[in-house]
Parts: sequence; structure tokens; C-alpha cells
Amino acid sequence: MAREKFQTLTEPMFYILLTLREECCGTDIMARVSALTHGRVDLGPGTLYNLLDSFQQAEMIRETAVEGRKRSYLITDKGWETLRAEYRRLLALTDDYKTCVGEEDLL
Amino acid sequence: MKNVKYRWNTFQLYDYQGVENHLSAMAAKGWRLEKAGSGLWKYRRAEPAKVRYAVTYSAGASQFDPGPTEEQQSLAELCAAAGWEKVSDCLQMQIFSTEDPAAVPLETDEALRLENIHRCMRRSFIPANVAILLLNLFLGRDFFWSLVTWDLYGMLNSNAMLISGVLFLAVELLQVYLLAGYFLWRRRSRRSVEDGGPCLPADRGCRWANTALWVLLVLMVAVFLLSELGRGHRGAVLYFMVYVTLLTLVNVLIRAFSALLRKRGASKSSNLGWTVAAAILLAFSLAYGLVWARYETGWFSDEVPAEDTYEYRGELWDLSPRQDFPLTLAELTGETYGHVRREAEVLGSVFIPRRNWRETALLGDGPKTCGLGYTVWDFSSPALQRSALDDLLEDDPVKFRGMTVFTRRYVPEDPAPWGAEAAYRRYYDDDPHDSWLLVWPGRVAAVGLDEVPTEEQKALISARLAPETWKEEAK
Repeated sequence: MAREKFQTLTEPMFYILLTLREECCGTDIMARVSALTHGRVDLGPGTLYNLLDSFQQAEMIRETAVEGRKRSYLITDKGWETLRAEYRRLLALTDDYKTCVGEEDLL
Repeated sequence: MKNVKYRWNTFQLYDYQGVENHLSAMAAKGWRLEKAGSGLWKYRRAEPAKVRYAVTYSAGASQFDPGPTEEQQSLAELCAAAGWEKVSDCLQMQIFSTEDPAAVPLETDEALRLENIHRCMRRSFIPANVAILLLNLFLGRDFFWSLVTWDLYGMLNSNAMLISGVLFLAVELLQVYLLAGYFLWRRRSRRSVEDGGPCLPADRGCRWANTALWVLLVLMVAVFLLSELGRGHRGAVLYFMVYVTLLTLVNVLIRAFSALLRKRGASKSSNLGWTVAAAILLAFSLAYGLVWARYETGWFSDEVPAEDTYEYRGELWDLSPRQDFPLTLAELTGETYGHVRREAEVLGSVFIPRRNWRETALLGDGPKTCGLGYTVWDFSSPALQRSALDDLLEDDPVKFRGMTVFTRRYVPEDPAPWGAEAAYRRYYDDDPHDSWLLVWPGRVAAVGLDEVPTEEQKALISARLAPETWKEEAK
């Protein structure tokens, strides 16, 4: 079920996994995603909380530390696999675009 | 000037937009939400301000948790980092607010929001709703069966049946409406989200349906109590009032007990277990206590006060027998009786009024007694009368330990001597019994005697019990 659920990733899912290459807590994730995307992707705390919960259940991330209410996470091998698969999918999309339209149209 | 106000919560669990808009509007008027209970919401006066409210959901939250769960605390921490302050929670609904117009919304993925709401609904609302639907179907099974088989008499033959039946039906329709309302909202929201849009606003009708049911409940109960008081059934009214008061008290006690356990830090499972045990114990105590009080005490009795009767040969007799009987034993037999007891009551419903009369007299100086009893049903439509006759004329097997001992049935006989449109005699299997069912247009009477009446007695019974229109036509 979870595998099917994360066959493709939404932007918030992609950036959360990307951020969790390094151990960080929820607050850091929000800040890093915002910085990485120059504010293009807003990650609401409710959405982040639910995604972290879902990723944990799907064993794509793991909890590494709990300090008070602050919980830190890190991506797992399974999470990496999903992230790479998504990257390949995005590349395939890009390649298909180039094949059909060409690169000059991007300018 | 009061600084606190309470409002009844009419929002469905999934109606986050309704809650957000409502709370922002209240804040603009100077009322901030302080505590969101499952029933009442408490607001405190504050300076009117433009406040943004946002609702998110924590599927694991429960009203039996001793305090905010770790998940809820983590969520609150994340929200605080994004500029949102926790205001309150109501079941799984987590309510936050901010005065920062630029704060990132709590939910930025509508598909995920929809999925999370459904997870919460599957855990609480849907099972509770289906349980109420099935329980209500079971409790109102007699009324529903009458409705399905279109047994008008079964549905309308008593005020209690009619009023409780209407309420059972209203509750059933409400549960179906609320369930359908949610699934329809979910389907439409899913389509909207798939097209890149947000979840859609919930149907406002669902918000008011619960309130409408409460209004209907109060109205129907008021009608029932007034009609019972009008019939002199003060005992029944008192019984009902005591029942409702104790039921409310039980409800308050159970909630208070659960709140105490929460305060003492009992775990969720411990709180749930003890609360359910307390609820079962209190419910059984209430049921047993009321049954005991009804049958073992005279608290809820409508019986004639003892000072209006006297005792003779071990029985109570009327000092001044009531004179409003359509037909008395003395009139029927031509005898004079020194000791008489008469009881009459109005039963049935507004659609099918039913009146019972019963007279017992001592034969001579006793100890033998004789009796006369009759019940009269009046019908406002031929369809109601047909339905009642179908019911009354149906064979009635008397069973003991699952075995039929004998069958009570009515056998047609010549109605002419009775001055009726149709007449039936009661039989126990093949043995005739001294009781008859007499039918006129708009009226049916069941008459019970001690012996087979003479032709003159039959004519007298008809003259006293037949409807006036029938008697005028006969003239």
C-alpha cells in the first residue's frame, strides 16, 4: 500500500526526503525546504507532520533522536531508493521534453 | 458585561473550513475560542482582531488521552515554529490561530489533508455513526417493520409508538444524511484536488441537521407529555421526567468520571475501560432502579386514591362509582348491584383514539363477581380502520416455552342482532369465548361479557357503542 502510495512523489515529499539526507528536525526541514526552493515550495506544519508520520510508517525515514518535543529524522535506504526513482522519473520527463520540443524552446 | 460565552458545536468533524471561518468571524466580533469540547465551545471576550484560524487533524488523538499525546505535542511544536499557536482540540480536530497574515498555511497539500481527514473519520465518526444507525434500527424495529409493511395501525395505535417511531425515523434519516453528506463531500473534494484545487466547503445542511433533530426531539416529547397529562396519566409523565433527569445525570457522571481519570493521568486504555465499565454499571442501575420503582412502589401509579374506595370481602370497591360509562352492568342485566368498581382510561393516539371501560360488580352479597368490559377504537379514515381490522382479526397464538398452547381467533357471525356492519366472536382454538368484535363505519368495539348476551342485550350494546352517524342512518 505504502509502496504504491509513494510511487511518485509530490514536491513536498520530494523536498522532505532530499532534506533528510542529513539528520534534522521538523522545524529545520521547513526552513531548509524554504531556503532550497527560494520560498517557491511552502511546507505547512500540518502537512509536514502528516508526511513525516507516513514516511516513518513506510520506513522511508527513521527517527534518530528525541529531545523533549523535538524529534530528528534521517532518510533510510528505502527512502533513498524512492528519491532516486523519482529523480530518474523526472529526468525521463525532461528527456522526453527535449526530444519532442528541443532545448531552444526553454530560452 | 459577561466575559465568557458558550455555543453548541454544530460542526461536523471534517468541516474544517466552517470552523476556521466561524472562529475568525467570532474573533472579529471580540470573542476568542478558549476551549472546544465535543458539545459546548467556550469563548472569552477579547479585543476584536483579524485572526486567522487553521484546523488540522491528529488521527491518534482521543478524548480519553490524559493530556496532549506526543504526536500532538510534536505537531504543536512544528506549528509554533511556523507562527501558529495551539488554541484547543476537539476529538481529532486540532485548532490553531495566528495574527500573522504571512504565516504559511498549516496544510499545503490538499490531497494529504483529504486523506488525513478520511483517516480520522474512519476512526471516529464513521464507526460511531454506523453504530448509532444500527442501534436505532434495532430499538425502533417495531415501528420500522410497520413502516416497511405499511401497517398503519401498527404505526399509529399509540402516542408513545407514534412519537418514538417518528424520532427513530428522524435519527435514522439523520445518520444516513450525515454519512451520505460526508461521502459526497469527500468525492467532490477528491475530484477538486485531482484537478489541482482545494477541498470543497462542507454542506451547511449537515451542520444544522443535528440541531434540527434536537428541536424535533424537544417538540415531540412536549407533545407526548402534554397528551399524557391531558389523559390524566400523571404517573407516566412523572416516570418519563424522572427517567430523563436520571439519564442526564448518568451522562454527566460518566463524563465527570472520565475527566477525573484524565486529570489523575490514567492511560487512554485504562480511562476507556473504566469509563465503559462505569457506563454499563450506571445504565443497568438506572434501568433496574426504574423498573423496580415502577412495579414495586406506587410512585408512578395513576390509580384511584385509596380514600375513594372501601374494602369489602377482600376487594376494593368504589365509594362513588363514576357515572360517565356508556353502558353499565346494571343497565345490561337489569339487576341492582351494591358493590361496584369502575375503571376507564383513554389510550391510543391522536389518529386512533382508544377508550377502555371495565366494570366489576359483586353478585348479591358475594363472593362471586360479574364483569363487563369494552374497548372502542375510532378511526378518521377507512384505510386506518382496514389496517386495524387486519391486525385485530389476525390469529393470535398463545405460546408457552415456544409451543403454541392455543390460538385466539375471531370467527365471523351474523352482525344483524348486534346492529353492526360486521361482528366476530372470539374463539380459543374451537372453543367459543364470551367476547366479540363489532364493526361499524369509523368505529370498532371489543366487548367482553360473562355469558352470551340475549338479543335485547346485543341491541342495547349496539345502541350504546355504535357511532351516532350509524344510528341515524339506521333510523
